[in-house]
Amino acid sequence: MIIGRDIKRIYGMGAVQVRALDGVSLEIQKGEFVGVMGSSGSGKSTLLHMLGLLDRPTSGFISIDGVDVGTLDERGRTVFRLKRLGYVFQDYALVPELTAQENVYLPSMVRGMSSRECTLVCAEILSLVGLGDRIHHLPGEMSGGEQQRVAIARALVNKPTILLADEPCANLDSQNSRIILDLFKRLNKDLHQTIVMVSHEEWHKSYFDRIIYMKDGVIETEKNEDQAGIETP
Amino acid sequence: MFEESQVAFFLAKRSIVRGNKGTLYLTILIIGMVFVNLIFLPSIISGVAVLFNQQSIDYSYGNLVIEPKKNQIYINNVDELQKKIERIPGVTGVSPRFITGATIVYKGNAVTPVLYAVNPNDERRVLKTASKVVSGEYLSEADTGQVVIGYRLAGNEDEKLDVIPSLGGVDVGQAVDITFNNGVTRQYRIKGIINSDSYGADSNAFITKKEYESVFGLENKANQILVRTQETGNEDKMRNTLMSFGVQEKIWTWEEKSANFLNQIIGSFNIINLIGTVVSLIIAVVVIFIVIFINTVYRRKQIGILKAIGIDRSIIIKSYIFQALFIFAIGTIIGFFFLFLILQLLAANPIVFPGGPVAPVVDSMLIIRSTISLLAVSLIAGYVPAWITTKEDILSAIRG
Repeated sequence: MIIGRDIKRIYGMGAVQVRALDGVSLEIQKGEFVGVMGSSGSGKSTLLHMLGLLDRPTSGFISIDGVDVGTLDERGRTVFRLKRLGYVFQDYALVPELTAQENVYLPSMVRGMSSRECTLVCAEILSLVGLGDRIHHLPGEMSGGEQQRVAIARALVNKPTILLADEPCANLDSQNSRIILDLFKRLNKDLHQTIVMVSHEEWHKSYFDRIIYMKDGVIETEKNEDQAGIETP
Repeated sequence: MFEESQVAFFLAKRSIVRGNKGTLYLTILIIGMVFVNLIFLPSIISGVAVLFNQQSIDYSYGNLVIEPKKNQIYINNVDELQKKIERIPGVTGVSPRFITGATIVYKGNAVTPVLYAVNPNDERRVLKTASKVVSGEYLSEADTGQVVIGYRLAGNEDEKLDVIPSLGGVDVGQAVDITFNNGVTRQYRIKGIINSDSYGADSNAFITKKEYESVFGLENKANQILVRTQETGNEDKMRNTLMSFGVQEKIWTWEEKSANFLNQIIGSFNIINLIGTVVSLIIAVVVIFIVIFINTVYRRKQIGILKAIGIDRSIIIKSYIFQALFIFAIGTIIGFFFLFLILQLLAANPIVFPGGPVAPVVDSMLIIRSTISLLAVSLIAGYVPAWITTKEDILSAIRG
């Protein structure tokens, strides 16, 4: 469970202060698939960075699975990210010199899993995302959609409490986007994976259990699945 | 800790295997060349030192040099002392001699070399000068009125070819006038000319001790005794042995006698060597630093991503250190190979110094020192850029 209270993130740009987050409070329950939407500059990615421990809030409180993450030092935050969080980036962010399998088992190697275990777990997860036959391919030999699925597999390999995805379909066509979103939905339904996904595509709404709309660094409204409305491209 | 190193090694290995090969090969080649440079110049300097040391022993001093006691001009009872020393175990030759200044004149060319007065047979057992006669013959015990001179002293008719003041091209069989420092002048026939590659022997003149004694009216005296021992390197021990056998004169080792000259040469070479070593190491640091730094800057975003997915900064730094170590290891091996080729080449075509051909002397300490220096700079050059780049916060790195 994620609890955020009065989260603020203020950037100093010379004499001007930019309030990227201006007092956001939220709760996300285990097993929820939450969409964070809003226009560009609304603070949705900044919020995801705070929840993903990629940045520290200027003030406020964040608790993930009962851990006050604000109290963790850099090393503690790194370990927390490794063990509890999975992060999917807009541009896949794979290591180009590593094959799909190697990219996926990198985080599990850091956790001390044996090479044999890593290989087994990776094969399983890559099959789950539909890439069982592409495990030895380098990122440069795969399409954007395939690379994003490898990135999702990498995010899942350590069985994270929360999967955070920052506009994972932004660089994909609608067909590949749908594959990714279907995958997220399946992970959420079948494995009860908690997912927080940033998006600005209206048609993605149909996949979310709940949508947090942001504007000017604050939560404007929250809608659940029934209220979201569906616009398919 | 082990897992971290394992992951770092895994990342480094993949980066090397699947990264830019051209840059990698070039960097390894440069490190190999730096390694050669770190060893080659010092090995030549060591070779020069070995050459000069050997020449000091073979053509100037033997192993030990006995000189008169304080405030005395001559060593007295030389015959008895010579016999005493010859009986000492480990002594292979004893040569009493006189060293003096003299003026030699040939066809108007007057020079003032050092004149050695020696017993030719004794001298043969201590120095190798007698075996380096290139024209004519060396002295015999009974010779009077004969002189052997070094080729530099003999000189050339064209004085531009001379490196020291010479007799202007005197040859075997020709007569020269020698004026001793007691004012006596006698005529001598050139019996032989020496070319030993030793500056001292090739610039000076030799007559028999018997001849010298007749000029100065001396008997059973010398102002220097050279001693040759079976082994080189235990001169201090042999000096003590001589003293224990009752030799009361001053005893010098060849190293002490040649220290000033040799130290000046080696000192100058060492300054050049130090500059060369520092420049080589700076080149190594700069090259590895630039390669790793460009690599890390190019992968700045990737480093941010790795940190974001929970890879600790220390693992990323270690992976770059492993890459630097790989470059160092292969570069050093290639450097060894090049060095071996160069040494083979020099063995076939030695560098000829004024003192003779110089063979590079590569000792294990030099290799160890150079390897450790290169290892240290590789570690620093691998660590610093990785440390700088990974220090950046995750989001800045990801945004590039």
